[in-house]
Formats: sequence, C-alpha cells, structure tokens
Amino acid sequence: MERGTISAVTTVRHPPAGFPDEPRIIGLITLDGGSSVIGRIAGISPRIGDRVVPRMSMERVNEQKLRAYDVVYEVAAPAALQEDPFVFEGYILALTGPSGVGKSTVSKVLSSALSGIVTRVPILTTREPKDGDDGEYLYVTREEFIRLEDAGALAASTRIPSVSEDRRYGYRTEDICKIWNEGRVPLVVTEMHLLQGLARSFGRRSILSCGLLPPGTSRRAMLSQLLHRLRTRGRDSEQSIADRVRNASSDLDFFSHRKELFDHLLVNDDIDAVIATLKGHVLRTQEDTR
Amino acid sequence: MNADVFLVGSGQTRFGEWWDKSLPALIEEAVSAAITDAGITALDIDAIVIGNMIGQQISGQGQLGAMTSALLPHRPPALRVEAACASGSVAVHTACALLESKRAETVLVVGAEKMTDAENTAIASALMGAGDSERDAPAGLTFPGIFGLIASRYMHDYGLTREELSLVSSRHHEHAKANPYAQFRSSVSPESVSSSAPVADPLRLLDCSPISDGAAAIILSRTRKSPLRLAASQLATDALSLAERPTITSFAATRDAFCRACEEAEIDRKEIAHLELHDCFSIAALINLEDMQFADPGQGIGIYRDGLQEMSVNLSGGLKGCGHPVGATGVKQIRDLAKQLKASKQRFGAAHNFGGAGATCCVHILEHACEP
Repeated sequence: MERGTISAVTTVRHPPAGFPDEPRIIGLITLDGGSSVIGRIAGISPRIGDRVVPRMSMERVNEQKLRAYDVVYEVAAPAALQEDPFVFEGYILALTGPSGVGKSTVSKVLSSALSGIVTRVPILTTREPKDGDDGEYLYVTREEFIRLEDAGALAASTRIPSVSEDRRYGYRTEDICKIWNEGRVPLVVTEMHLLQGLARSFGRRSILSCGLLPPGTSRRAMLSQLLHRLRTRGRDSEQSIADRVRNASSDLDFFSHRKELFDHLLVNDDIDAVIATLKGHVLRTQEDTR
Repeated sequence: MNADVFLVGSGQTRFGEWWDKSLPALIEEAVSAAITDAGITALDIDAIVIGNMIGQQISGQGQLGAMTSALLPHRPPALRVEAACASGSVAVHTACALLESKRAETVLVVGAEKMTDAENTAIASALMGAGDSERDAPAGLTFPGIFGLIASRYMHDYGLTREELSLVSSRHHEHAKANPYAQFRSSVSPESVSSSAPVADPLRLLDCSPISDGAAAIILSRTRKSPLRLAASQLATDALSLAERPTITSFAATRDAFCRACEEAEIDRKEIAHLELHDCFSIAALINLEDMQFADPGQGIGIYRDGLQEMSVNLSGGLKGCGHPVGATGVKQIRDLAKQLKASKQRFGAAHNFGGAGATCCVHILEHACEP
C-alpha cells in the first residue's frame, strides 16, 4: 500500500445507505507513484497537501453481519506550508520538460546568464550517484527520504517508475525558503509530478512555470526527436531509454491537459533563443514583484 | 450535420414534485404538448427516442421505449438511451443520427424522470450509478461528494471564496422567476446560499440542483421545415472516475464536445447569444464556462460577479432553478433555447448537458433563421 498526498477533500454529511450515519471525510489522494485513489480519510479537518499513510479499517457491518474492511488514509503530517496558501513569499522559477529535451543544458546556461538572480534548488534523490551528475543532487537513503516526507519536510516528492529500482525524488521546503531568505529566486529543473507538488505546497501563483517542448509539429515527430537526443548523448542504456520515452509520452499529454500549470511553453530548437526568452520572463517578473 | 434537422415543436411538464403523476403520466403530458405545439398529428412520427436514467430502479419500469410508443396509435419504433444526467441530450443526439441516416423523417425525442417518490438514500444510490462503482462508490462517496471534492480543489487552486460561489445559485434562481415551468420561482440571496445546510463541504444545500419529477419532449424533422435548425450535435466522453483524470477542475468531455460543436456549426463561440449549461452543482457552472472558453481557468466567477457578457447564461433558471429530473434536462434545454432565440431574434444558442462528473457530455447548437 502506498502513501500519498491529499489533492482534494470533502465531508459527506449524508453518507450512502449501509455506511455509519455520521459525516464522512473522503479524499482524492495522489499516491507517491503518481496514480490517484478515492478513500476515506481518518483525521480531524485534513487539508489539501497533507501527507497520508494507508491502513486497513473495518468500515461497516452489513445486515448479514459481514464485516467489510477497506483501506483508509490517516493524516501523517499536515502540509508543510503557511496557514494561508495565498500568502506570496517569493516565486520559484520552474523548468519542466520531458527527458531528453535539453533541460540540463538550458538550466546550466541560464544559471550563468542569471547568476546574480537565481540559485538551483538541490534535488533530493534515493538513486546512486553516477557519471554525468553535475552537483544538482543530494543523495539520501530510501529510509531517510520517507522519514523526511512523513515529517512534512518535503515541498514536493515523487517516485519515478523504472523497471529496475524504486527511485524517489523531491525538494526540501527548507532549501527553497533558504534561497528566498537570501533574496534570490529558486530555480527547479523538474518533471510533472514535482511541479504539481510545488504548486500544491506554495500555490500556483508562486511559480513562474516554463514548459520546454522538443521541436516537431506532431507528437510523433517530438517523440522521435527525443529518442534521437537520448541516443546521441550516450548516457543511458537502451532499457533506460525505453523507460524515458514512455515517461516522455505521458509528459507530452501533461502539457495539453494541464495548460494552467504553465505560464510559458517554449520549443527548444535554438538554445540561444530559448535562453533569451527565459531571461526576459525572469527579468520582467523581477520588475513586477519589486 | 449530414442533413438539415429542424426543431418543429416542443412541450414539457412543469418540473417539480408531482406526487399525483407517475412516470408514464409525465411522459404523456409532455408528448401531447409537443405534438400540439408542432401542429402535426401523432401519425406523423416515425420513431421515438427517450432518455431516462433511473426509471428501472425507482419506478420499477424498464422498456420505456415500448411504453412511450404505446401512447401513440400506430406504435412507431422506439428506444431508450441512458447516459446519467446527459440521457436527454444523448436522446437528441441519437435522434439526429436516425434523421441524418434517413432512417426516419420525423422523430419524437422525450426526456423523463420520476424521482420524488423514493427515499433519499434510494435516490442517492441510484444517482451514484453515474459514478465509478469500483473506484468511487466503495469509499462511501455520494454525487454531492464528488462535486465537493471538485469544489475543494478548485477553491484551493484559484482562491475562489464561499461568498463568490454563492452568486451562482442566486443568479439562476433570479432567472427562474420568469419561467412558468421552473420548480423554484423565488429569489434566493447569496447569503442564504452561504448559510444553508452543509451537504458535502464546501458545497451547501443551495449549491445543489434539486430532486425533481418532470418530462420534456421535442419533435425533430428533416422534411418539415421550421426557422429553428440544429446546427451541431456532438457527444464526447471521459474517464468515469475522478481518480483517473489528470485534473478535476476542468472536464475534457466538455472541452471536446463544445469545440467540435462550434466546428460543426462553423461558428465562433462569440456568436452564441444564449447558453444553457449544466449546473448540477454551482461549481460545475464555473468550470463549464471555463471549459467552453468563455472565461480563463479560475475566472468563471467573473461572469456571475460582473455580468458583463453579451451572452445569456441559463436564462431559464438552469438546473438549480428549474429542477433537474435527470433524463429530462437535456431535452428541456433545447426547448428553452428555442423560446429564447424566438424572443430575442438572435441566431445561435448552445445547450451543454453532461452526465456524472462530466464523463459524458453532449453539446447542441440551435440556429434560428429569422426568415425561414
């Protein structure tokens, strides 16, 4: 059974026949693997963003005295955010795109082009260090990751499904707040689940969200472009490339289904043009928030 | 559309609590009114399509096609369709298919529902049939609960307040005052919406469309001309359960059906003068306006707060004011649009009707030619 985060919650005042006749708190829960489930929430006034852990509970006894058990979700840690999610502490610059679109290159060039303004937020990961990592990761054990998650110390976390292992990635709230306290803009180079997590924790308005798309006029052209790039950079095995392309395909859907999570969508066909556009957006936002 | 489909007449019962009228009695009343309005005889009808959701569970009556057909002397071919709260519009869509394929020349479309004779728990469980029986229902979720989840997320994402949301039902009630067929013809202040009993937080009693009895009927024909023509009929679907959707604050089926309907009618959304949309719960009205791009995401409330748009929204009173006998609503919306277009002498009206939490959506565009 997976842990998760509440993404919507209601109290049903008149539960259906057969359930105890008392208000019933029901939530839509985003599980750590990225899928969603509807279940009863055990806890007093749970809120969107709260961490929940599953447990079995006897939910009702029917007329024939048969006991029905179901999974319920218990609030483990309240959401790690201020009382009012609409308080604006600062903003986060987020760059989201499918694997192979060139996020790392863009973020490297952007960090130096805006070195006076942005700081990269380290990514917490449970995976092993490997060649090609560029100091963007903080490596922790799986146990430590889950402890931080349940303590509410992570602003966003996700599990990237892979054939071989259970990899988790996340951002610590404290890292982001520290960058704000230094008067700088946190930069995250991220994927769809983490972006949604950040929007949940800090509010959508706190994110200057840019999507990076591969060139190509059709979905097929975009995917073949990604495949080509992943192969030529030579960092991944064929197996891992297959995983990445599968994930990229759902990432592309995400851009059309969740348009509201993006302020700007950019096509990465010319790195200089992309950097210039991004720089423009950041400088304009700096002006506006001042 | 592959043929010209004209709306030649319509009729309905008043929506409300009809303890003295059975499901067949409601259907008969609406059918007679439509035939009289069309100025035809019953024998001119080649086929019947009836939309109904819970007749089987609540009235113990299936076979509504045969039952309705038996009301006419010549018993034309008849069938019943079901798509939860979209049953009515899906019946209209099915009738269009019969006409476009030349299976029929003149079709009677009926939408009917009898809901008030059953206990609340029986109705709630019958309506929950519109959700996902494996993913939604086992946790003890009800339909107001599903929209409670949607409203909680919407308020979280966009900062909509309880006071703002109350403007929606209040406005629909205001419109219903002028509609003699509406269940509720009285004003409801935004404050009384905000202070009504909680049903599924953050939704309250007056955010929810009521349980109603009622029937509506329209007559569509490709051989009998009329100034009113169906310019588009589009049907779209989505995953049944909220747990299987990428977002719950926007409905893909509405976006698809409406976008394709505008393409089919070859119009821009700005040309629509009257819109009847599916406000089963107040929050749905806002999401629908955004999905049809009359407002940006999160900004639907602006249309209720400022009322600056030229297009009318739920001038009939909508589901909240008129009542929502589920299978009848989609048919009754087309009848209301026809009345509104005739009165205003405008050209286009759109009816948006969905089932469940937007798992089925059907959009019709009605065109009014001032000189037939």
